[in-house]
Amino acid sequence: MSAETRLLFRNIDEPGLAGIDTYRRLGGYRALERATGEIEPGDLLESLEGSGLRGRGGAGFSMGKKSSFLPRGEMEKYLCCNADESEPGTFKDRELMQKNPHQLIEGCVIAALAVGATYAFIFIRGEYWEIADLLDRAVAEAHEAGFAGSDVLGSGCRVEIVVHRGAGAYICGEETALLDSLEGKRGNPRLKPPFPAIQGLYGGPTLINNVETLANLPHIVNNGAEWFTQFGSEQSLGTKVVSVSGCVQRPGNYEIELGIPAREIVYGLAGGPPEGRRVKAWFPGGSSAPVLTEAELDLPYTFEAMAEAGSMLGSGAIIVADETVSIPELALRTARFYQHESCGKCTPCREGTNWTVKMLERVANREATPMDLEIISSVQENIIGNCLCVLGDAMAMPVGSMVAKFRSEFDELLERQAVLAA
Amino acid sequence: MSPEREPVTLVLDGVEVRAPDGAMLVDAAKGGDVEIPVFCYEPKLGPPVGACRMCLVEVEGIPKLQTACSTPVRDGMVVYTRTDRVIEAQNAMVEFLLVNHPLDCPVCDKGGECPLQDIAMGWGPGRSRMSDPKRHFRKPVALSPLVRIDRERCILCYRCVRFSQEVAEDEQLQLLQRGASSYVGTFDDRPYIAPFQGNIIDLCPVGALTSEAYRFRARPWENEGSGSVCTLCPSQCNVNFTVRDERIQRVLARDNPAVDDGWLCDKGRFGFQMISSEERITEPQVGGSRAGWDGALDAAAERLRGAGGRVAVVVGGSSSNEEGYLARRIVRSLGSPMISTTDGIEAGAVAGLATPGIAAATSDLDRAESILVIGTDPLHSMPILDLRIRKAVRRSNARLVVASERPTALDGGSTESARYAPGQAAAFMAALAAELGEDPAPQGPHAEDAARIAGELRPGSTVVVWGERLAGEAAATEALLRCAEALDASAEGAGLIGVPDGANGRGLREVGCAGSPLPDPEADEFDAILLLGADPLRDFSDGPAWRKALNGARVIAVSMFENESTKLADVVIPAEAYAEKEGTVTHPDGRLQRLRPAVPRPGQVRPVWQVLVELGERVGHETGLGSAAEVLEAIAADVPFLAGLTHEEIGAKGVRWPEREAAKTFPTPPPSAERRITMDRPTKSAARQAGGAEEGLRLGTYRDLWAGEVTERNAALRFLAPTQVIELAPADAERLGIAGGERVTVSSNGTSLSARVAIRARMRPGAAFLIEGTAEEGANLLGGAETVQLTPDGGGG
Repeated sequence: MSAETRLLFRNIDEPGLAGIDTYRRLGGYRALERATGEIEPGDLLESLEGSGLRGRGGAGFSMGKKSSFLPRGEMEKYLCCNADESEPGTFKDRELMQKNPHQLIEGCVIAALAVGATYAFIFIRGEYWEIADLLDRAVAEAHEAGFAGSDVLGSGCRVEIVVHRGAGAYICGEETALLDSLEGKRGNPRLKPPFPAIQGLYGGPTLINNVETLANLPHIVNNGAEWFTQFGSEQSLGTKVVSVSGCVQRPGNYEIELGIPAREIVYGLAGGPPEGRRVKAWFPGGSSAPVLTEAELDLPYTFEAMAEAGSMLGSGAIIVADETVSIPELALRTARFYQHESCGKCTPCREGTNWTVKMLERVANREATPMDLEIISSVQENIIGNCLCVLGDAMAMPVGSMVAKFRSEFDELLERQAVLAA
Repeated sequence: MSPEREPVTLVLDGVEVRAPDGAMLVDAAKGGDVEIPVFCYEPKLGPPVGACRMCLVEVEGIPKLQTACSTPVRDGMVVYTRTDRVIEAQNAMVEFLLVNHPLDCPVCDKGGECPLQDIAMGWGPGRSRMSDPKRHFRKPVALSPLVRIDRERCILCYRCVRFSQEVAEDEQLQLLQRGASSYVGTFDDRPYIAPFQGNIIDLCPVGALTSEAYRFRARPWENEGSGSVCTLCPSQCNVNFTVRDERIQRVLARDNPAVDDGWLCDKGRFGFQMISSEERITEPQVGGSRAGWDGALDAAAERLRGAGGRVAVVVGGSSSNEEGYLARRIVRSLGSPMISTTDGIEAGAVAGLATPGIAAATSDLDRAESILVIGTDPLHSMPILDLRIRKAVRRSNARLVVASERPTALDGGSTESARYAPGQAAAFMAALAAELGEDPAPQGPHAEDAARIAGELRPGSTVVVWGERLAGEAAATEALLRCAEALDASAEGAGLIGVPDGANGRGLREVGCAGSPLPDPEADEFDAILLLGADPLRDFSDGPAWRKALNGARVIAVSMFENESTKLADVVIPAEAYAEKEGTVTHPDGRLQRLRPAVPRPGQVRPVWQVLVELGERVGHETGLGSAAEVLEAIAADVPFLAGLTHEEIGAKGVRWPEREAAKTFPTPPPSAERRITMDRPTKSAARQAGGAEEGLRLGTYRDLWAGEVTERNAALRFLAPTQVIELAPADAERLGIAGGERVTVSSNGTSLSARVAIRARMRPGAAFLIEGTAEEGANLLGGAETVQLTPDGGGG
């Protein structure tokens, strides 16, 4: 049985960790002290880049590289922490914020200092209202203690932290929609380019990072980029908090070193499906990742291995479906989520998700024809890569993969089969 | 961004195409004769949004297909627009767009001129694989009294929403709900009430937004287009009349970036119904009975000759240059100096301000670093200019400064704004001129505001938009000239644009129609008055005095409709509508534009220029002019700075005379020291300043966009006609114990009218405003009062 590798989760169950005193007693804010004291902002950026830390929100883009895209010099720059955690199956940021808010705040301030941002907004999904309250308290503590505010630890740098509650839309986790929402507009994705690093919030250069990504920063600053690279695989450095859900005996968050076989997570940590059942399919990175099969559990859990298998590590949320799960029903349920959450701005996503649901409903009701399956597959292909943001792809990829990999289950539900059976 | 960008070369479907660097692919492609289909792309609405995904193309080196609407060209770029991949994506987008579209083309107004039809035919798969039920909405519903919306036809391209948000900035249209349930609507389903909403009908690439006035009136293939110019206000937008069976069915924009950017206000768009109204005067009348042309013209000539020089001609503001010119010649031949236009500005008062060297073109607004709007609210007096100024602020980051008596629609987007009391324009501008110039820092009540405003203006790159009503105060024009000098208005791209009251105020003045101040009707000077498309009882500031004057004279009225003034006329001559007229008008920026007849004149109506030529003959002023073109020739021969102008030169887009060679002959204004204008008699405003502070509130009046005959004569617009409202500052309302919405009697010197109270936050305390030209209780009933008293009606009711 494999063990977790706990960096972000190291003291996660320590009573009182959400308070600043406990956090500091356990070594908290020392990284920030270093960042404001002995490390130059330029070196700070360099060390983020050197750590090879990749974004934990879904796209897996190099955090340091993204930070380096922001123009230097005097101008209003912003940091946005994406805490809109909405991807089905993902609940890691929730635990990270709920149990250790100061780790995130420290990470935010470090990132803000590295890029010269004076405002750090934590955009948290509205449903996490209790956590938002808790974050508000933690932010107040941090301000009071001088770790944030008009003069961070006497460095002369200003970093104001603002917790902003979202109004409940999946699309607002898309970075540019998040910016629109934060600006008080309807949360719709923007056209890129310009990328937020150049022109983001209120038109200013903006760094947007996921909660888990930022929570890594205090550890990197404390221990050095070199230290960080000892964890994980060549292209997937560090640890990852994996949310395991679905047909497993011990669902929950597990912090693992990237590169261990997925099977160790699903079976070793989460206990695998209930006794006597086998894994049929699993989403390696949230519901928008194409499903993989049982055999693919032996792949190392890394960004690159998942991509090679035609899927993605995404937000690191593993959803397991065992033999009791009907794949066509799973496809319908997945499609319904994205149909409901499509913002409607671009044609293929708005119409494609809606149409796909209608067709999958007919499949589920045994009213579909073999032609419909061809159309479903073709519609998914017509969506992929043609949308304004990746929400459309987020439905088309898993649905397409389910039709492709589990075609026989769909065939069984087709009209003709139903008629023949009767 | 400089407008002159270096061209680059790209390879488009294997052919080399040159395009300006940074141009969007979709525009660059046109240079290579390649059409890339688009729905949401419309540069006039701002930066591309990439929503419809119709314009996907393949760009070498980029793995995903790119939207051509948002991809700027680069040198050496290799682009494919017709590869299998692209065609597949185009087919897919058309199929997606039609998944929920009702395909009710046979009963759709847009059918036949519909981009969705065209693109579906040209780039679509030809069939749909959709067999599920379509999305349904209640339809069609009224988005407003002018526009209906069919949400099933809507393809959610965002154009109308972007117009509302980013062009008109009324921010009423929104996309509601999300995903496939998205629909265009307003907050709480309130009606979309905004003065430019008709543009969304033109913008809609499908039949989702239809015009209440045009619905089911015609199919596009039955229509003929006829280009002309709208003369319902000084904006003089270029229009295209849709004509079916010799009747105007609708008015569309005829994009002229130098004038209107392709937008129309709703007055221009829906104000066509009156042209085919049954209520028009179609026969000449004398003494209330039909007289035939000879009878009427003889009678008119007899009245004019019989007055022995005691003749006044009042030329309505929308008259053409030709009409004004002929009227001037007639009245001069009769020995009368009295000609006036609706705006009543003396030619001398504004001559210096019209000097070509300090004139700005409308398009200069697009590049100006700062814009000063003074003494006018473009929304009401020249609506399309309001959109143009908003564009300058939004797109080019121009600093906007507004100084006015009354709050304006542009205040919200301005960097600074200032209010002066009614009648204090001259004092305010003197302070501003001093602040801008070398003069010692100004003192007095306006010093602070003037300093605040002056700080925002960039000499050499400022366009000053000024209301010509300012010229009513002699000192104001003089101060404005000094401001212009200090702002280096003669620099390239800088200058002045004067907003006249009348649609063709500038043109009429330039053909000699404002040689004298507004006749003083009190003086009982006139035995005959010729009203040329003018209704003084409604439109001029002193209503009672004009009633007296018209009662005391023989009145000849040339008019489209009967009105209060024509009722006092004993010779009534029918006038043509602007869509029937041939002639020229002059835009406030000096652009001469052609009016061309789109529909035949009804009944016995003759062209007004012809009526005037014949009337001239009968009073002994033989002109020998036989066509509208010949009248223009005569103008060109008579007015040195218009020398050589012909219809051909004016063409479809007009020509700015200040840019022509002949402009050099424009009379140079007298040197600064003598520039002060001597007035025959004190103007109202001057008198107002001289008079001591009476008790009560200082009265200002303004012409509301919707106050006037046009609103009432067009069924579509009637709901917009305002009733009289008196606007008060919150402090005054509180002091007087009057609440918003309350009905009050507004009185001055024994005259009074009834109005509803509106409390306006941005008003200067001590002032009150009434609307001019309302159908009833018009502000001019008070006879140009300077101060008013308010008495609440019915205690406690």
